[in-house]
Amino acid sequence: MDKISIPIGPHHPLLKEPLSMRIDIAGERVLGGTLRLGYVHRGIEKMATQRTYVQDVHLIERICGICSHVHTTTFCLAVEKLLGIEVPPRGQYIRAMMCELERVHSHLLWLGILAKHVGLETVFMHAWHDRELALDIMEGVSGGRVSHAANQIGGVRFDLSPEQVAMIKENVEKLKAQVSGVLDVIENEPALRARTQGVAPVSADLIRDYCVVGPVARASGIDVDLRRDDPWPPYDQLDVNVITRPEGDAWARTLIRALETRESLRLCEILLSQMPVGPVTVRAPRKVPEGEVVTRSEAPRGEVLYYLRSDGSDKPARLKVRTPTLAVLSLLPEQLSKIHVADIPVVLAGIDLCIACADR
Amino acid sequence: MVKQIDLITLLERIEAETGCQCEVYQGITDEDALYIPVEDLGAVIGMLREDFGCYHLSGITAQQRESQPGEIELIYHFWHGKGLSLLLRLPADDPRVASLIATIPGADFYEREAAEMYGVTFTGREETPRLLLPDDWDQGPPFIRREESDG
Repeated sequence: MDKISIPIGPHHPLLKEPLSMRIDIAGERVLGGTLRLGYVHRGIEKMATQRTYVQDVHLIERICGICSHVHTTTFCLAVEKLLGIEVPPRGQYIRAMMCELERVHSHLLWLGILAKHVGLETVFMHAWHDRELALDIMEGVSGGRVSHAANQIGGVRFDLSPEQVAMIKENVEKLKAQVSGVLDVIENEPALRARTQGVAPVSADLIRDYCVVGPVARASGIDVDLRRDDPWPPYDQLDVNVITRPEGDAWARTLIRALETRESLRLCEILLSQMPVGPVTVRAPRKVPEGEVVTRSEAPRGEVLYYLRSDGSDKPARLKVRTPTLAVLSLLPEQLSKIHVADIPVVLAGIDLCIACADR
Repeated sequence: MVKQIDLITLLERIEAETGCQCEVYQGITDEDALYIPVEDLGAVIGMLREDFGCYHLSGITAQQRESQPGEIELIYHFWHGKGLSLLLRLPADDPRVASLIATIPGADFYEREAAEMYGVTFTGREETPRLLLPDDWDQGPPFIRREESDG
């Protein structure tokens, strides 16, 4: 059968963000595809060198509209390392709690998108409804639903009042009940299993070769999570359960994220119950001593890496951001080969793309 | 879990197996870093993967240090439970290095980014198509510092 090449995007039928793909098909079979990014490239790495560290925290928050907090956290960790200052324990705990809530909202958002594209509108409605509970917490404590501006160099910008702690506990409790319902659907709903099980399986070897990170890697049996394997405080004091599945298919990728949501809620409860008292931030100097540093965090989509070089001034000399989507995207052309045309949305949704992150 | 690599063992093995002289770089806080000769990159990375099980390339940073305007520096960020950075110095007038995509297909996007932002040529791969910059961008690699530029 003749090969036909179909351009899809950049304005995309599936995603809300622009990505251009060229997919080669023969009949119902997909032979492969190529990608073109850059439609939301803002030059943030370059811009960061033209702004002060204090301004950069706000700039970096805008890399991603979903995992904004983990970006500023990783950047602040880098600057704090060069400055040689330590965030007070309470500040560290609030940071980590926001990271976990962000994972909950990111995974639920993603579950909704996947459910919608496999035809389970009800799950989509439930997942997005539940996600609001996580967003309510983050808005309640920081004032922002997705851009929280929680971090500053040296700690976090707000403390938690007893009323806020009570509100967080109540919402986390509700979320736990809701997430177990979603988990039940993922594990038992025949329609979802039929659309995802055995679709686009990825072997652990392929994951290693493509240096894939996060839930996609863990769904293929790669037992790596930076919260456990390369932690920053307070994760070094927490016992993070890393969830892996051996299947490597779209269903495993779905289940992993639902289980990770449950684990994040558990971590939230621990962080709240063990939260130390004291200040949440320390004063940081404007100028950062000469030096270089690499920091990594486990974002909802996997490892995010920041390389920062300071020349001793109040602006970075070089900032490099490697977002998890960029690592996972390289696998997409490989995943798109040998599947059916009807499975393209499942595969695309399965890797949880964040194009704004990848483009920066 | 990923196994940890001891830097001294690594240095000894690199020297014994590839014969190349590496230089320990202590400029990166809390991270093992090595300057390696450009022509030995493939051999060192092959050894890292096969002998030490260090598979994960987190990314490639390209940069031009203010103190070394005649050089483009590439940093290959590996991770094996902790970070390991391999640094290469390339001449800024013709930065050229062997591509890794035959060994690490995941390096594709990182190489393409270094190619378009810093003009690095990766040999041994067909081409480095545009990844981030617009198709009609004609002002050369945007990160390269020019004399008249204010940075």
